[in-house]
Amino acid sequence: MEKKYGVYICKGCGIGESVDVQKMIDETASATRLPKENFKSHDALCSPEGIAMINADIKNDGINALNIVACSQRSKVEEFDFPGCVMARSNIRELVAWSMPAMEESTQINARDYAIMGVIKIQKGDLPEPGILENLNRTILVIGGGMTGLSAALEAARAGYEVALVEKEAQLGGWGAKIFKSSPMSYPFEGLIDSPVHARIKDVQAESRIKVYTGTTIQKIDGQPGLYDVTLNTPGGEETIKAGAVVLAAGWKPYDATKLTHLGYGLPNVVTSVEFEEMAKKGGITRPSDGKPAKKVAFIQCAGSRDPEHLPYCSHFCCSTSLKQAKYVRELGGDDALAMIFYKDIRTPGQTELFYKNMQNDPGVMLTKGDVKGVSEAGSGNLYVEAENTLLGQNVKALADLVVLAVGIVPATAGHQQYLDGLAAAGSKGDEAKAKYIEETLKPEFILNLGYKQGPEIPSMEGGFGFADSNFLCFQYETRRTGIYAAGCVRQPMTMAEAAEDAAGAAMKAAQVIEHVAKGMAVHPRAWDITFPDPMMTRCTSCKRCTEECPFGAIDEDAKGTPFYKINRCRRCGTCMGACPERIVSFKDYHVDMIGSMIKSVEVPDEGLRIIVLACENDAYAALDTVGIRRKQKLNPSVRILPVRCLGSTNLVWVADAFSRGIDGLLLLGCKFGEDYQCHFIKGSELASYRFSKVQETLNRLQLEAERCKMEQVGIDDYSRLPEIIDDFVKNVEDQLGPNPFKGF
Amino acid sequence: MSERILNPDLGFVKEVIKSGGESLKKCYQCATCSVVCNVTPDENPFPRKEMIQAQWGLKDELFRNPDIWLCHQCSDCTAYCPRGAKPGEVLNAIRKMSLQEFSVPGFLARMVNQPVFLLLLLAVPLAALLASGAGHVPAGPVEFGKPGGFLFSLKYIDPLFTSVAVLALLSLFLGIRKYWSAMSEGQSSSGKSPATDISLGTAIKETVKEILAHKRFDKCETTKGRSTAHKLVFYSFIGLFITTVLAFGKVILEPNGGYLAYLGHPVNVSASLLTGLVVVYKIIGNISAAALIIGILLVMGNRMKNAKKAGLGSYYDWLFISLVAGLGITGLLAELLRVGNMPAAYPVYVVHLCFVFFLFAYAPFSKMAHMFYRATAMVFEKKSGKA
Repeated sequence: MEKKYGVYICKGCGIGESVDVQKMIDETASATRLPKENFKSHDALCSPEGIAMINADIKNDGINALNIVACSQRSKVEEFDFPGCVMARSNIRELVAWSMPAMEESTQINARDYAIMGVIKIQKGDLPEPGILENLNRTILVIGGGMTGLSAALEAARAGYEVALVEKEAQLGGWGAKIFKSSPMSYPFEGLIDSPVHARIKDVQAESRIKVYTGTTIQKIDGQPGLYDVTLNTPGGEETIKAGAVVLAAGWKPYDATKLTHLGYGLPNVVTSVEFEEMAKKGGITRPSDGKPAKKVAFIQCAGSRDPEHLPYCSHFCCSTSLKQAKYVRELGGDDALAMIFYKDIRTPGQTELFYKNMQNDPGVMLTKGDVKGVSEAGSGNLYVEAENTLLGQNVKALADLVVLAVGIVPATAGHQQYLDGLAAAGSKGDEAKAKYIEETLKPEFILNLGYKQGPEIPSMEGGFGFADSNFLCFQYETRRTGIYAAGCVRQPMTMAEAAEDAAGAAMKAAQVIEHVAKGMAVHPRAWDITFPDPMMTRCTSCKRCTEECPFGAIDEDAKGTPFYKINRCRRCGTCMGACPERIVSFKDYHVDMIGSMIKSVEVPDEGLRIIVLACENDAYAALDTVGIRRKQKLNPSVRILPVRCLGSTNLVWVADAFSRGIDGLLLLGCKFGEDYQCHFIKGSELASYRFSKVQETLNRLQLEAERCKMEQVGIDDYSRLPEIIDDFVKNVEDQLGPNPFKGF
Repeated sequence: MSERILNPDLGFVKEVIKSGGESLKKCYQCATCSVVCNVTPDENPFPRKEMIQAQWGLKDELFRNPDIWLCHQCSDCTAYCPRGAKPGEVLNAIRKMSLQEFSVPGFLARMVNQPVFLLLLLAVPLAALLASGAGHVPAGPVEFGKPGGFLFSLKYIDPLFTSVAVLALLSLFLGIRKYWSAMSEGQSSSGKSPATDISLGTAIKETVKEILAHKRFDKCETTKGRSTAHKLVFYSFIGLFITTVLAFGKVILEPNGGYLAYLGHPVNVSASLLTGLVVVYKIIGNISAAALIIGILLVMGNRMKNAKKAGLGSYYDWLFISLVAGLGITGLLAELLRVGNMPAAYPVYVVHLCFVFFLFAYAPFSKMAHMFYRATAMVFEKKSGKA
């Protein structure tokens, strides 16, 4: 496409008072060799008049490559939307006018440099065209027929999608169908209700869009969003279906109570909450040892949960379960029956608090906080619950007829995760160790059996105890396999009411990915993006760095080991672009040469420092915008800030570009990584950090100090810290290192 | 601390709830109550622990502890309780139950605290008075205590009242003794060694001083006015006690028709001394009566005013308050009617006597006993070095 350039400078929001716009136009035009008539300024570019001016130029003069020199790319997105045009946004409002002293030379130079970088961006960029694959399927595969899976299937079907619901047991319902009663789910949270699962099963069976496969497991899932080939192991044999997206709702298992002998498990009158549920379902609360009615029932909370020796996390619903089961004791055992609950803290999230209040109000439900130290026999089948630090005093022994252990939950994904982690650890010690591990370790039942080079299951969180990886705050349901969404207790422990909501969320995510791949559009977090990585394969050396580093397993390898993209799995972070030593991966509007040229366009002054900051668009750049918006702090005028899709897309050649041009320092601002990572692309900032640890060795060899290059982890809420972080870095370069020795070469 | 066996008593929990502690089960042990309480000791403070002991039906733990009586029901706890568990009301109910536990005979305590038996209990003194001849109204000017006056025409009434008073004192003594040994037992089973450097005499002396000054009552915040009201009633009772003693003395000593004279042992007392005695006790009596009426009306007013924050109180409270108010009002009314020489003074006086009887004969079982139990708890507390 032949580009006709238009550069539009806004004078509103204080820009006009902060910089000499005409001077900026003159200097930018001469630096970029664009004719001055291609530059226009306006008092308020985002006003209807300003937009009309741009639209008139597009229509009358055929302008099709625009640089909007105004506010941040994060604001006025709707206003500055010109379909069919190559776009750049030079941020001289938040980063310049609002965070630098008005009408100073350094401010003027900053604005000019940003305008020049924007022009380079449209010179180097191209109009994106979506890459849409053919024969896309719109079926949502739901794995798990419990509360979560049933709800997800219903939500998806009611939203108009075909659903395949796979349950490994012979009946639908999961744990929810095995319980005697459920705790109430609506106001006034009194009394027990029938398990809501039964009604859901009926609804699912009545829904024509849902095809139910019971007694079925997944043998294999191949492909990518919109194009999954799913092989099912049904009672009638193998069956192959197509799917567009997957909801993983495989649920949970109770923690193995045989490990809880310290709480008396193994004694005849000590049962788990699951066993107690069966007992109530049979109609009577009796002691297994002698069949006598149990009148004094003790409940021990956190049996296994919140215990570093067992499950370090809170299993979330055991408190409600025991309160509910206390009601069984009261309702089935007669008015003289009582329940004693020993808890660490009663945790009844949300409205369940009202159920707790109501249950607590029953005189026969007695509660105390305490550390249960053990359960011992008290003769004739009776038991003592021994507890310390109770609210009733230091050490107590409570006499009970029956003890119920409120066992915690283990996600269905935990078993294979443990196996796979072990396998990876053994693999890192060599093929022999790996073979030995495979031989010696009992292979657990896998759930997804993905045909991905990166592994058969979705990765779990580091330190996440086998729960499927998904950032529960910022991007729930997302896993590291695009198109596969985790919901319910595979994600975190939750109640049935919460699981139903969770299922709806995951079903909507599954629907979204189906709609987006149909438009060639990415999903979270770049859910508008129609660009895609387009490698120049003729120069590929099959080094597999991209395959290894892609956080989403979007890059596969053919039989010869040459990588190829399964593009619907891609989230467009650009990690492959950063990884590639041959620099062959490009997006239409984002590539190595583009950012490199922008860096190289920054004029290095003879006196004073020039520092490049690469800031992650998702958090760091937003935080920098906030610095401007708050107008309380100033940004250091010697830095030039470039947004990147993710620090993972940072290619090392940019370091060479910067330092060879005489740039004095390079600061990378990315998201927190590690166990509680904040990176929107999971591994991006971590990979950048890893790469830069390598580049610093290279710098040392070049007689350039490693400290000239630094990475900082910042969050979106670090705006008040950011100016100081930048100042400290600049000061360190200035005081400790001095100017780049290559300056002027 | 030794390990204690918990054997929760559901029946007791239900009893507390029925006795005015309806909100007991709302407590979720945040301990705001123990923090805001100004009268609790710093070490092992109440009423947080009492709330959970009551929730678990641990009767012995509650009754064998001075704490439930150290509470003055300021209701700061109740006002600040985030769950509306009203610890003040709950402890009051438990106090009532502890009276029933310790007082002798126990059945009377249960009767006194149940509205069904009210009329029956009132009928006892009325029947005694009527049997003693209170139905007969003497002719002539209205006179109560003078020889030949109304009271003198009531046969057996003094022996009856006196013996009832003696029995009540005996019952109280037995109850208090039981309470004391229960507290001692509780202390030794908790394993804490009592601080013994305070003698019982000193502990009693200190307690009396504290009670006279209403030191703890003054620490109440939510129900500030209660201290003044209580002081008025408290001191008026002392005043009325002095009045009664002096009047009784006069009745005994009077050469003309007094008891001693009646029994054939007249003493020689100057008329001016007797007149002086009469003037003194009339002044004390009337001032006390006024203080009593004002005080008890303030008590009632405070209770109504604070009902939202502190709770209205139960039958146990209102029976006592009503009796005291009835006592004061009928006493004053009888006096006024007598001065006005109206024969209606007699029936009013009979009612007054019924109130007097009720208040004192049933004292070990009604809220009247609170002064003894609380004082005992305070003495125990001081002696055991708790405070």
